Amino acid sequence: MEGRCIACEERPAPPRVVVVGLASCFGCQLQVTNAEAHLVDVLGQIDLRYWQLASSDPMPEDFDVAVIEGAVTTEESENLVRALREKASTVVAIGACATTAGIPGMAAAGFLSRPVEVYGEGGVPAACGEMVSPRPVSAVVDVDCEVRCCPIDTMDFVDALQGVLHGSNKAPRSSTMCGDCKRNETECFFAQGRLCLGLVTQAGCGARCVNLGRPCNGCRGLSPDANLESARQACGRYGVPVEGFDRALEMFNQTNPALEDGRASR
Amino acid sequence: MLYRVIDAGELPALVSAFMETYEVVAPVKRGQSYAFEAVESFDEIELDYPTTIASPKKYFLPPKETLLEFDARENMVADFAAEITPRVIFGAHACDINALNRLDLVFKDGRYPDPYYVARREATLVVGVSCMPHETCFCHLWGSDEARFGYDLFLQDIGGKYLVSISSVEAANILEAACNPRVATDAERIEFRHATRRRQAAFNPDIPSIQEVAMLMDAFHKDPFWDELGGRCLSCTACSAVCPTCFCFDIQDALDPDGETGRRERVQDACTSPQFALVAGGHNFRPDGRGRVRHRMYHKLNGFLATHDHMLCVGCGRCVSACKANINPIEVLKFFERKGTEDAQ
Repeated sequence: MEGRCIACEERPAPPRVVVVGLASCFGCQLQVTNAEAHLVDVLGQIDLRYWQLASSDPMPEDFDVAVIEGAVTTEESENLVRALREKASTVVAIGACATTAGIPGMAAAGFLSRPVEVYGEGGVPAACGEMVSPRPVSAVVDVDCEVRCCPIDTMDFVDALQGVLHGSNKAPRSSTMCGDCKRNETECFFAQGRLCLGLVTQAGCGARCVNLGRPCNGCRGLSPDANLESARQACGRYGVPVEGFDRALEMFNQTNPALEDGRASR
Repeated sequence: MLYRVIDAGELPALVSAFMETYEVVAPVKRGQSYAFEAVESFDEIELDYPTTIASPKKYFLPPKETLLEFDARENMVADFAAEITPRVIFGAHACDINALNRLDLVFKDGRYPDPYYVARREATLVVGVSCMPHETCFCHLWGSDEARFGYDLFLQDIGGKYLVSISSVEAANILEAACNPRVATDAERIEFRHATRRRQAAFNPDIPSIQEVAMLMDAFHKDPFWDELGGRCLSCTACSAVCPTCFCFDIQDALDPDGETGRRERVQDACTSPQFALVAGGHNFRPDGRGRVRHRMYHKLNGFLATHDHMLCVGCGRCVSACKANINPIEVLKFFERKGTEDAQ
């Protein structure tokens, strides 16, 4: 979708937006409603046509922007994502589940045999649908814009939406997190021999967990420029067990091919 | 330059006097590390600190600053004046003062002075303090272990007393009013020389002293060493975040939530960021760690020297601690040392 010039007098109709939830806790959609102070301002810039969390009105035929939360875990949701991509000029994926497969992705290993383990042979309810191994939206269709984190930051979403509506000169970055910690002048967990996933996780949240005294758990997902081999060597140098590093990465990156490659090469 | 001596016990009065007119920022303890922060009293200050996580650069080139405000509906720039806090940086080491002098070359003394930087620099007094090197310090290799200018006062510890170098009238007046500065005795001058020698003798002998570094950078431009060094880059930009002389930035527009007004912001950027050299059309002319790390080292140890007659590295050693992949100028010096040994055989 082309950005609209705010100053232009001849304004086109505001973009029609749908918000769709797939496999997720719906927490990221809730985060959008948490923009309380600005919600009216934000809604005033769009024509919100569908939002299951807020209204039971059915999804319209036509729209411009599809906001997708959650991981793809069924054939039904895979088809839905394809249909959304076909109709929308812009697809926005929000939250760890939609961008990395997130929490559903934690169960990716042996995923298809799990329902039977839980419900027994023949007892799997129809509501489970035709299950497919958990995957992020970007593994099914092209995504124009991602808002990362578990959950998303409300104002990050507003910022991304405005980028979609009006264009933006903020280029997406793939640098990892440690630079932000240095700018924040927080103490590095590695210096204490403690694991932190910041050194391979895509930056952008301002290292907020570290600011609160907790190591990064990687909810923004591996950076496409993550240097896993060098990070493992760093673990060794600082006395952080490498096995722990690999295991911790699986929380939000289990379906990431880079992790598969890493496992294969070791 | 004027030199006077004050007692260590007079420092609290000096800091209090600064606080009457300025915000005082100084090294304070932060966990096991140190950082420059605004202080309310002298007692918070840890003057005997090894180094800080990031440098006082942040008071001149903040990680994020607003350059202007705009009204998108009118497509107009709104009235905007950057808020400048009159400030004293109390307790800067010589390397950091030399780093400020490097930044001055770019942002203050160049053909196009940067008004935001210049306003902050002019509203800031710098009080330096002498230090002893710790194991990652190599300022002496670049001649940055002494600050010759770029400060208002410099406090050289001569044992319970400070020999104060005074280089601004403003700071001299405050010093005069708050303390009892006196002319140095011969014994105090001798003690100053001893202190300087003790510092010079205390540098980590494992950090090789290499001549003609800039020339060697050119000579080994294509050496496989850069694959090895850059290949382990984590692309985290910690190096440039802590570096007192890294000054690259990006400019971005941020809309307010109503989509009607906004700000143009300058944010720190880094040549070790994978997208730093990404240009229109999607071409990235430094697409890998090898190219990016080599470029950064070249700017520090070769390129800036050619333009400004100084290294852009001051040997503060912050990147040595900050980089989890052990990429830093010392590794480059060690490489040159290895090459020298190999060539001699």
